[in-house]
Amino acid sequence: MDNKIKELKKQYKNTPIPKELDSTVHKALHTRKKRSTFRAKWFIGVAAALCLFVISVNTSPALAQSLTKIPVLGSVIQVVTFQDIQVENGNYHAHLKTPQVNNLDNKDLENSLNQKYVNENQKLYDEFTQKIEQDEDGHFLIESGYEVKTNNDLLLSIGRYTEEIQASSATTLKYDTIDKQRQIMLTLPILFKNNDYINTISEEIKEQMRQQIKEDPDKIYWVDNAGIEDLDVVDKFEKIDPNQNFYINEDHKLVISFNDYTVAPGYMGVVEFVIPTEVIADDLVGNQYIK
Amino acid sequence: MRNKSKDKLISLILEKKEDFYRLAYSYVKNSEDALDIVQESIEKAIKAHHSIQDNQSVKSWFYRIVVNTSLDFLRKHKRTSFVDENTLDYYSSGKNDTYQNIDLERSLEELPVKYRTVIILKYFEDLKIHEVAEILNENNNTIKTRLYRALEMLKEKME
Repeated sequence: MDNKIKELKKQYKNTPIPKELDSTVHKALHTRKKRSTFRAKWFIGVAAALCLFVISVNTSPALAQSLTKIPVLGSVIQVVTFQDIQVENGNYHAHLKTPQVNNLDNKDLENSLNQKYVNENQKLYDEFTQKIEQDEDGHFLIESGYEVKTNNDLLLSIGRYTEEIQASSATTLKYDTIDKQRQIMLTLPILFKNNDYINTISEEIKEQMRQQIKEDPDKIYWVDNAGIEDLDVVDKFEKIDPNQNFYINEDHKLVISFNDYTVAPGYMGVVEFVIPTEVIADDLVGNQYIK
Repeated sequence: MRNKSKDKLISLILEKKEDFYRLAYSYVKNSEDALDIVQESIEKAIKAHHSIQDNQSVKSWFYRIVVNTSLDFLRKHKRTSFVDENTLDYYSSGKNDTYQNIDLERSLEELPVKYRTVIILKYFEDLKIHEVAEILNENNNTIKTRLYRALEMLKEKME
């Protein structure tokens, strides 16, 4: 199928371009005012001369300061944009947004989180500049950003996403969940009494996958006993990693997340499963975080 | 600030005019009408460039105008597909050896317009899912399922 699409794309790109296209475009651009003639030419000149634009916006200090001035009981733990970098270079685009967690009393935790976020984007940026050096005529797009999934009295869950597009696209998501009161980072092993959760959650996810496949013919997961053909050619989903990506949503439910291509075909994108609390209730250390 | 979006628009049009032409052509299948659509789209865009939001992608915005102008054209004119002289000359000159793939091309032509559009935007124009979604004013998931359906339909037709 991929080859067929490539073939079709080749044919599509072979659509003959009539020589009148240039004059048509210019005519259309200049119907309004003469001024735009000048601007269009000027712009091409500049675009040719400047092959690299770097816009770096640092929104955090002002924003962070104005936010901390609001008097609230206790400290306000918040997430702000620390850095927003956009680079455009021909067919190469990068838009990287780095989050920063502020006002945690546990400065070690705060620093290590923020350093990690900076490093993640630094790595993406290095990868990006390397791609440009390797092949000037290629296409590459990279975008990263963050989303606060939950921020209540007790918990803060931050997700960071990265989308890379070259020939195909790949999205990854990473989450950090913090207990704001005890000021610690939560992990799956912390939440559960023992390792039984791995099996309990895995079986629950498989069941949900099968159910979704049955209800919606557009959905496919690499799971057995669901009538999916060609399962032997891929790694079918067996069980979650002990430190599988997760967050706790606003409803106090555990959400398990998988990056694209890992448990389903690429078109399914990043997939998540909300685990009903009754399924894991016996394995949980307590019902403080997950209810 | 406003003129910035206009500059962006103009440089985008100049840079990608061939892409926009091909897209228009994929709907109307003849060069004269495709040129008209390109011209009309540009005129519309220049007139309406004030409506581009600051955080909106100019690229998606303009693609959307081209798609809508093409669809309008198809609606107004009966959907007849014929090959015009330019194209005929081009193919008969032997510059291109696509003749053995006519079946493949036909199976794409046979897809309903909305499915063909997502295939073209995603795979031929290399746009991202969220850009295709923006262009067609749908949400990402709708585009994903539509894309999947389109591929399935294409597969069926080719068998």
